[in-house]
Amino acid sequence: MQKKGFLQGIYQKLTSPKLTVVIFLVLAAASVVGTLMPQGLSEAELQRHYGQRAIWFLTTFGLNDLYHAGWFRFLLLFLCANLVVCTIERLPKTLKVYRRREEQVDPGKLAKCSLNCQFISNLPQNETEAWLISIISEEFGILQRLDGVDHLAGVAENGRWSPLMVYVVHLGVLLVLCGSLVGSLFGFKGFMNILEGESTNEVMLEGSDRGLNLPFQVRCDKFDVSYYDNGMPREFRSDLTLIRDGKEVTKRVLRVNDPLTYDGITFYQASYGAILNDAEVELTDRESGAVRWVIIPFRKWVDIPGTRDRAQILRFEENFRHLGPAMVLLISQAGGEPSGSLILIEKDFHGNRVENYNVKVLHATRIPFTGLQVKRDPGVWLVWLGFALMLVGIGLTYYVGHRRLWLWAAADMPGKVGTRIIIAGRTNRNEISFERKFKRLCDRMQAELRQESGEGTP
Amino acid sequence: MITSSILFSITTFAYFICALLYFSGVIFRHRRIMIWGSITGAATLAIQMVGILLRWRESYQIGYGHAPLSNLYESLVFAASAIMLIYLVMEYRTKQRALGMFPALFAFLAMAYASFSTSVSSKIQPLLPALKSNWLIAHVVTCFLGYAAFAISCGISILYIARNLKQETPGYTLSLLPDLRQLDEFNYQMVLFGFLWLSLGIITGSVWADLAWGTYWSWDPKETWSLITWLIYAALLHARTIKGWHGNRVAWLSIIGFICVLFTYFGVNFLLSGLHSYANTK
Repeated sequence: MQKKGFLQGIYQKLTSPKLTVVIFLVLAAASVVGTLMPQGLSEAELQRHYGQRAIWFLTTFGLNDLYHAGWFRFLLLFLCANLVVCTIERLPKTLKVYRRREEQVDPGKLAKCSLNCQFISNLPQNETEAWLISIISEEFGILQRLDGVDHLAGVAENGRWSPLMVYVVHLGVLLVLCGSLVGSLFGFKGFMNILEGESTNEVMLEGSDRGLNLPFQVRCDKFDVSYYDNGMPREFRSDLTLIRDGKEVTKRVLRVNDPLTYDGITFYQASYGAILNDAEVELTDRESGAVRWVIIPFRKWVDIPGTRDRAQILRFEENFRHLGPAMVLLISQAGGEPSGSLILIEKDFHGNRVENYNVKVLHATRIPFTGLQVKRDPGVWLVWLGFALMLVGIGLTYYVGHRRLWLWAAADMPGKVGTRIIIAGRTNRNEISFERKFKRLCDRMQAELRQESGEGTP
Repeated sequence: MITSSILFSITTFAYFICALLYFSGVIFRHRRIMIWGSITGAATLAIQMVGILLRWRESYQIGYGHAPLSNLYESLVFAASAIMLIYLVMEYRTKQRALGMFPALFAFLAMAYASFSTSVSSKIQPLLPALKSNWLIAHVVTCFLGYAAFAISCGISILYIARNLKQETPGYTLSLLPDLRQLDEFNYQMVLFGFLWLSLGIITGSVWADLAWGTYWSWDPKETWSLITWLIYAALLHARTIKGWHGNRVAWLSIIGFICVLFTYFGVNFLLSGLHSYANTK
């Protein structure tokens, strides 16, 4: 029993619209924190920037990866729950109001409306009726007749469905969140680097050490960057070929903003780079002055001719601290422990030395690679649908109000010609413009009546 | 030869005159001056529009060929024109000229910042590959229509708070302003208008990001701040609809919302880094 009471208590809390506003503001505040703190730092970066206690605090509350932290997701879930519960509570009432049709018009109530207008027409009753109906349908829309035995009455309304639109917006929000959930459960996001001329099917998954093998191979036939006159990049393009079971299934140029989708998997031009294939190096022995030339392949030991020494390139950087390309050269003398140093490839630098050699790179052969973002997201259509619903809903909720105009007319005094007319109006949106419209209608009616009666009585 | 930069210089100066006219009209309670404010505003907007079109053509003449919406300078110019466009349409519909003070001032400030700040380059630059897309126009136009509406709403909120502080007294300075109820309603209408465009702006940005980077939402600071702005205005709309908040509270929330807009626009560029800085899109 107590458990049920507890659940009911939570349900009651969730029905509160105040909660919605609070969740909005809390989400906003949390997001602010997320933009002020650096996100997604690695363990090493954390160690460098913060002390032990700060790291404990950051990781416990997930502040270094806030948007993926459990409590942030819980907040989003909470918002969904609030939305669903509010809908369950309110939708039936809204539907009831939506379905309810008025059956009669009460002149007393009309006179109490904040927008109302009363006047007397001296035209014959049938003329008055025809005139009223035509003017109202011209200004407001079709008048639904709710006549009584001794009076003419009716209501003209538009946007009756507009209060329902808010549920469309909320459905849209839910769909967007569902879509992102579907995407994260059944999709993947990753990265692949493909050397020019080579093919691979291996994707490195984002945010994990695991990889994933695509059911087909991706070959990069060519990668190219073009530049504007001022040196800004103009275009990155990769000529890709997809190969399945040994057959070329797709051949296409991939550019930024122009992704390629095949078999539900989409490829994006994301980055590029180059690896070092080999380097032709001039080594000058500082002791003997002997000069030797050697071609050193990447990460393979080679003998330095005429010596008992060996060399290897361990690492390559495209742009080391803005000094241009650099590589780490290892030299092992006479089979001893290798020692290494960073060598600038395009600059003559006094530090270009390892062991007793001065090093000069004569030529470095590079192979460009293209960096592709790869993803599969089966939930993206839900997200787009949600967006569409939100837009339509927001637009219609606020720009179409439920506007009603009531009319009641009856003989002023039994047996006489005069007809007493009451009109009244009400809206749930944009009152000021509605008021203006209502006033214009009243003014027009009164002006026409005055004209009629002026002509009628010379 | 008339160039866009000459027209933008004229625009900057003319918006200053326009703001001056609106402010004097309200302060000296002189309707005639305010009419001149409107005329100056409309004429300046026309000059500015010509300037924008001219700059568009100039970019084609240089050989870059893109809409003038690609950097801070161009977005500031567009923001100024969007503010005045939305405001003048509103003025035409509501016949309330006194509301022009802040829109004209904001438009002038945006133009002045674009023209005089040394950190804003007015050169026509080519587009980075990441920006080469038709979504650029859709995204920037929608976002800035939203921002512009929020700027106007912030102006109305300031007037509301000012008017509320000092209720009617004889010889009252702000007597040409609409009454509190009207100010509140105009404010609400503007927030709604802005909210719709901001939503569209976020959504077009999201669709574009999915096309360019393969992810419709990456919690990049600019995205996150636009979401924060959206949440603040969503809170405002809910508070007003469900809890019946009116007047001062709504005015203050709208001002807070506009501060978020300013931070999304400027703060994120200068203080936080992310995808929108286009530094890491090689």
